[in-house]
Amino acid sequence: MTLKEKRTILIVLSGLFLASLVFVQKLEVARRYEEAGLSPHSVAIPASSRQCVDCHIQGTPGIVDHWRGSTHALKGVGCVDCHRADEADADAFPHYGYTVATIVTPRDCAVCHGEVAKEFEKSHHAAGGNILASLDNFLAETVEGAREPFNPHSPTPGKAVDMVNGMASAFSGCQQCHGSKIALLGTDGGMITVDELQPDENGRPTNLDALAKVVKDESGRPRFHAGTWPNTGIGRLNLDGSRGSCSACHSRHDFSPRRARQPENCGKCHLGPDHPQKEIFEESKHGIAYRDLKDEMGLDGDSWVLGKDYSHAPTCATCHMSGNIRNGGKITHDPGERISWTNRPPVSLVMDTDINGKIVKATDPAERQKLIADTAEAKRTRMKAVCSNCHTPDYVNAFYKQYDDLVILYNEKFAKPGKAIMAALQDQGLLTPTQFDEEIEWTWFYLWHHEGRRARHGASMMAPDYTHWHGMFEVAERFYMEMIPQARELADHDGGTAGAEVHRVIDEILARPEHRWFEEGAAEQMAAIRKAMEERYGQGGPAAKKGGEGP
Amino acid sequence: MATPVRWIQERLPVSGEDLRELTNEPVPNHLKRWWFALGGTPAYLFVVQIVTGLLLAVYYKPAAETAYESVRFITEEAAYGWLVRGVHKWGATFMIAAVILHQMRVYFTGAYRKPREINWMVGMCMLICTLMLGFTGYCLVYEQLSYWGAAVGANIAGSVPVVGEWMKMAMLGGDGFNSQTLPRFFVLHAAVLPTLLTLLVIVHIGIIRVQGVTEFEFGDEPEDEPKYFNFFPEHILSELIIGLLLMVVLTALACIVPATLGPKADPLVTPEVIKPEWFFYVAFRWLKLFTGTVAVLSTGFIVFIMFVWPFIDDWIRRKTKYPEASVWIGIVGVLLIILLTVWEAVVAH
Amino acid sequence: MAGSGVDEPRRDVLDTLSKWGLAAGLVAAYGTFAAFLGRFLFPAGPPAKGWMYVAPLKHLSVGDSVLFRTPGGATVNIARQQPEDEEGAFIALSSTCPHLGCQVHWEGQNNRFFCPCHNGVFSPDGKGIGGPPGDAGQSLPRYPLKVDAGLLYIEVSTEELAMGPGKILEDQESPPGPGHDPCLFVCPAPFADPGRRA
Repeated sequence: MTLKEKRTILIVLSGLFLASLVFVQKLEVARRYEEAGLSPHSVAIPASSRQCVDCHIQGTPGIVDHWRGSTHALKGVGCVDCHRADEADADAFPHYGYTVATIVTPRDCAVCHGEVAKEFEKSHHAAGGNILASLDNFLAETVEGAREPFNPHSPTPGKAVDMVNGMASAFSGCQQCHGSKIALLGTDGGMITVDELQPDENGRPTNLDALAKVVKDESGRPRFHAGTWPNTGIGRLNLDGSRGSCSACHSRHDFSPRRARQPENCGKCHLGPDHPQKEIFEESKHGIAYRDLKDEMGLDGDSWVLGKDYSHAPTCATCHMSGNIRNGGKITHDPGERISWTNRPPVSLVMDTDINGKIVKATDPAERQKLIADTAEAKRTRMKAVCSNCHTPDYVNAFYKQYDDLVILYNEKFAKPGKAIMAALQDQGLLTPTQFDEEIEWTWFYLWHHEGRRARHGASMMAPDYTHWHGMFEVAERFYMEMIPQARELADHDGGTAGAEVHRVIDEILARPEHRWFEEGAAEQMAAIRKAMEERYGQGGPAAKKGGEGP
Repeated sequence: MATPVRWIQERLPVSGEDLRELTNEPVPNHLKRWWFALGGTPAYLFVVQIVTGLLLAVYYKPAAETAYESVRFITEEAAYGWLVRGVHKWGATFMIAAVILHQMRVYFTGAYRKPREINWMVGMCMLICTLMLGFTGYCLVYEQLSYWGAAVGANIAGSVPVVGEWMKMAMLGGDGFNSQTLPRFFVLHAAVLPTLLTLLVIVHIGIIRVQGVTEFEFGDEPEDEPKYFNFFPEHILSELIIGLLLMVVLTALACIVPATLGPKADPLVTPEVIKPEWFFYVAFRWLKLFTGTVAVLSTGFIVFIMFVWPFIDDWIRRKTKYPEASVWIGIVGVLLIILLTVWEAVVAH
Repeated sequence: MAGSGVDEPRRDVLDTLSKWGLAAGLVAAYGTFAAFLGRFLFPAGPPAKGWMYVAPLKHLSVGDSVLFRTPGGATVNIARQQPEDEEGAFIALSSTCPHLGCQVHWEGQNNRFFCPCHNGVFSPDGKGIGGPPGDAGQSLPRYPLKVDAGLLYIEVSTEELAMGPGKILEDQESPPGPGHDPCLFVCPAPFADPGRRA
């Protein structure tokens, strides 16, 4: 190689080196850009929301960050697209050249997610706000709290407390799951809700007098009643007349499908002593498998169809909402579509529903036939489609037999008799019309609302401990050891014909074969048990003897 | 112009002629073949490593609590930090590769034979130095794999009979990887080994200058041309070409396959798969083939054989009928090395 | 460079050219690389800047100015000098006089910035034209401005951006406007008693 050739090669190589350094520079600039938070995910911020992002990245960087990681951001759905409001909307306010509203309601989401919103609207979830005039709410507003604010009875050192908000338990408790009735502050100190605003079919308020009373700050932003907002309860009653809150499950502002697919999401509300669905799931084989295999379930996937994208384990969403290969991958936003019993009331009801999604309560078969739009059997078939991805038909059918039997046992042995006893006490005037002011009212509430539901839910989702020890065992104890004695005491206390009638109802119940053991004893059975114990363990132990003494 | 030159020459009585004389050693013609220019490559890369290494040392904090974070800072936050780290990492890989290739060239051309046995052994020391640099550098990152690589390395050192425990203690500064360990590795990597390697390079080149480069003759060379060419500018241009080519490749690799950062070292969780850097695959696989002490001793024995190979070769050439046996032994050795490396690379454990 | 090629007796233009090209190429390539490495020693880089909201454009009419305090504490006179709704119509200059640190203000009627301490006078673009600053040739440091969707923004460091919004300390010769939305970051106004229901 001649010197000149070498030199030429060197010049070319210098150029190449420079070119690679240019590439280095490009990467470095990109890196610094990213470091400065200007392009964390190659998300193009829609022009309409550019200004929002510029400002909110300083004020509330968390919101912007969450949104940046969302599918919305990827698809170019920006702040204004959801928060946009019409000037006529009750909660609209001008904000740097845009008219926006703070609360995004299902009506706003429905602009793009129309089908989903329709399904949701039919669901029991959307009706969650109806609790506002129910027994449960009486508990929070009156028993636990107070319907009117009252004066503190002694000072709180370090804090000026001039008024006790008796609604606190309802606001922070009930309504955070069930949904609040969103209220704007009125100039008269009152609340302006959907009831006052009387929105038309477009969600615009028709009662302009109410609208005129809304308190606004100097920038024109209406003030919310702090008890009703913030709130993401699933049945929220919004100012525009829509019901529900999509962010109850699809947490703002990243609207993560991954999160909605996980049981923890439902566990915000479906847990605790009265309906421990999440704990029940965790105890079940389903939950055990989920905990183990979670990482392999493709929870992040665009598509999440059981049987196609995963079969490792089900979550709440899998069975109640998500698609599976047997139903063509159809997702529903009405979890009731696949539920055949409602175990919510004292006595479980078959989920035959009418065209409005309401349970048909008529007893006459012909009448029922006329009203039913979607049968419980159809709902069960939908659920079985999910089950059948992993279980054989025989297995699924036999499971449903076990489940039905438990629900019916509870209904017939405890729920209906309990209800009858309470009705008798009521009819005979031995109870005041006020709920929860008598011990037996608490007893009965515990029986069906807590223990009875635990037993039924436990059976519905394969959690034996919840079915038995947290469930039927406590139901029985509550029934025999508290409810019967308390009812009899009320009857004895009365001493007259009313008392006698209550005794008659109780006697009639206890004379039934399934209850007969309680008063007549079950010596025969105990003897058989003792014999079996002796055969199994030699001498019948002290436990066996003690057990033989009977109640 | 003339005045400053005179000013210097009055104080340092070295003329341009002297300098030319000193540096412009006649280079044998065979060095026009690229294969023979490999010796300069590791030297060039060593300079690259020193420059980038010094820069990295500016930010690196050699302590268990801070090491990983400082590497993360270099990689993610410092301006061009990823480039410096990437070039350093790839430079290490290339340097080791170049050393190995250079050694193979020397071996297969028999350039270690009398009178160059000593320089072969100096070269062996340089090889070991380079490998140690690779090992200690890898450990400094303090990510899971490098941490456990260090732990395993120390335990291997510990299984050497008699002195093993002492070596392990000296290496780790305690029974196991502890807060004293990283500073030791850092001192080894950034001070002791580079100094040693620099001295060895000086000795290596000094010996070459004293002995002259081995001369090879190829049949296709014209008889009537001079057998030497000038170091300046001819050979230096060749070296420059290699150097620039390396820079292009290094920066490109630093961009395309950047130096990453695995999970931080967790002394409580051993990763499923522990692998050293590729250049230790041979040794790692070899150690797995035998148990404990046998493995370590056999490795030591092989290194010893490599050290004294010029004398063994001499003995073979004098005492046996196979003067070219070294070539065949070399081929077998290289194949074995490739086999073990590939084996280690493709299996998980 | 000692360039005595053995087999190249003739020196032509191309040869010289290639030599220089070689030298230039090497210097450029290695020089750039060295520059990158040098840059590595300054990890933080030049302070990043960002745009901070000041006020709607209509807040200022021609001749008006506001004294704006950045979250970092620097005070800036922002004056409107032209009626157009664009950056060029506004100017933002540090309000700290380079002479002895007094507060400079905009005099719309005189079309100048004025420092009352020693009668320092600055031209509308901040150059010292009278008094001590004029004598010393000092001028007021200038801040870049940006207009976007009818709103005025000033360039400040990102550290300052993170500290929260800046503040308009005083309006000069302009009616009070809606200013910054007070409820965006801090909402000091108490909610009415939530216990009361309609």
